[in-house]
Amino acid sequence: MKNWIQVFSIIDFISVGILLTAIAMNALRRLESCVRAYMFNSWLLSFLIAIVAFMIGEAHLYMASIVTFLSKGIVIPLFLRKIVKQMKVTHDVEPYISNALSLTISGILVAVVYVSLREGIFVTGFSRNVLQISTAVILIGLFIMISRRKAITQVIGLLFMENGLFLAGFSLTFGMPIIIELGVLFDMLMGVIILGIFAIQIKRAFTSSDLDKLTILKG
Amino acid sequence: MEYMQFLIVIIFSPLVQGVIKKLKANMQGRVGAGVFQPYYDLIRLFKKDMVISGATSWIFKATPYIVFTSTIAAAMIVPVITTGSNLSMMGDVIALIYIFALGRFFMALAGLDAGTAFGGEGSSREMTVAILVEPMMMLSIFTAAISAGSTNITKIAEAQGIFYSPSHILALSAFIIAVIAETGRIPVDNPDTHLELTMIHEGMLLEYSGRYLALMEWAHYIKQVLLFTIAVDIFFPFGISNNMELSGLAISFSTYLLKMFFMAGMMALIESTRAKMRFFQLPSLLGGAFILALLSLLIYIMMGK
Repeated sequence: MKNWIQVFSIIDFISVGILLTAIAMNALRRLESCVRAYMFNSWLLSFLIAIVAFMIGEAHLYMASIVTFLSKGIVIPLFLRKIVKQMKVTHDVEPYISNALSLTISGILVAVVYVSLREGIFVTGFSRNVLQISTAVILIGLFIMISRRKAITQVIGLLFMENGLFLAGFSLTFGMPIIIELGVLFDMLMGVIILGIFAIQIKRAFTSSDLDKLTILKG
Repeated sequence: MEYMQFLIVIIFSPLVQGVIKKLKANMQGRVGAGVFQPYYDLIRLFKKDMVISGATSWIFKATPYIVFTSTIAAAMIVPVITTGSNLSMMGDVIALIYIFALGRFFMALAGLDAGTAFGGEGSSREMTVAILVEPMMMLSIFTAAISAGSTNITKIAEAQGIFYSPSHILALSAFIIAVIAETGRIPVDNPDTHLELTMIHEGMLLEYSGRYLALMEWAHYIKQVLLFTIAVDIFFPFGISNNMELSGLAISFSTYLLKMFFMAGMMALIESTRAKMRFFQLPSLLGGAFILALLSLLIYIMMGK
């Protein structure tokens, strides 16, 4: 079984999948699909942790995987989807720049990460590539945050950044048991609180008024 | 004898088109024409007289021959059932893409030559799509070429293993989108209509009739099968023979037919389940596919596989 993981390079496939779901955020037009992209990203992340836990045989990493799956893979996406449904406005993403341009910029970001981390001095745990991919995910999440208009897409960008940070930390030190799990829980809590505040503000701004009034308010 | 494998592409290309049309009709709940219908169409067109506009120049008359011969020249480079011997010393993938570009250039000129509005429309659209597709095709082929250490298609086909890496999967998906755009299939162009608002490839051929139209259509079928063959050679070449033994050739030929049937089924599935995109949305799709190809190259460079 461990041989199969090596032969089919499953870790590489999963980490590339994590990168692809982050890049797909730039091409998606509807908020629901953005939430789904984040959900797949979290599933892949927890699956990667489970695979690594299986490979090195650490029991507490299974715990981290399950906690990640439950919190980021199920609770937060359901919550986000509920908020998207409650916002009785258009479900379009409405970025500041076109999809093709933002795809290109995220491709450039990946290239920059690869070039700058090619000769890394980092002693990584299980795979050298995962650190680069996680850094790229962090940058793409940041880019999504600054290039989207809606509050909910900015939150999703933040969550992508958090996933990337978690993956980077995990790839550098996968021997940190309790802190990682507590960090995941705490991040989830923070995310939910932030989202609650955002949701209240979005509802207050949107349900009473349409988008035209919103532009007037912005001045 | 061993240099004759490109004849397979030339002879079987209308059949592949017929199979795609039949599968597509069946998926949409129609009976559809028989799989040999493209042959009947070509034979009928070869028998018909031509009507040539008086406003056209020599380019209009030379283009069918240039397009047909350049497509056949491209077919000679590609290994179809054996990598043992072909004319690959003539050129590599880059030469192949520019041989296609030669045919496309003259086709666009001929579309402009008759001076009709639809021809010019088709030419300008074809060139717009080509600008987006060519670099994407190059990049996705380069991913396979780096791992093989050569841009020669024969060498690439020989070097591929059974186990795949993420970069190959990404390059394959980008290449499939490039094939769809190059063959004028549904998310990009609708091959079945002559509706002036949507047509790209048909717009350029609108002034042709009779023998010239048959040559252009046949060249289009050959190009389609050739692109499928390149995809098969580069990304899943298992089963291809590396010598001229008869038994190996038989196995190779049957796996080749199976792979072509698989590609035809995939194209029919994509055509039946997707809607045609608006022309100005195309840069979004093709740009996304370009990013996929770029990522495949970057991931190959980073991961080393």
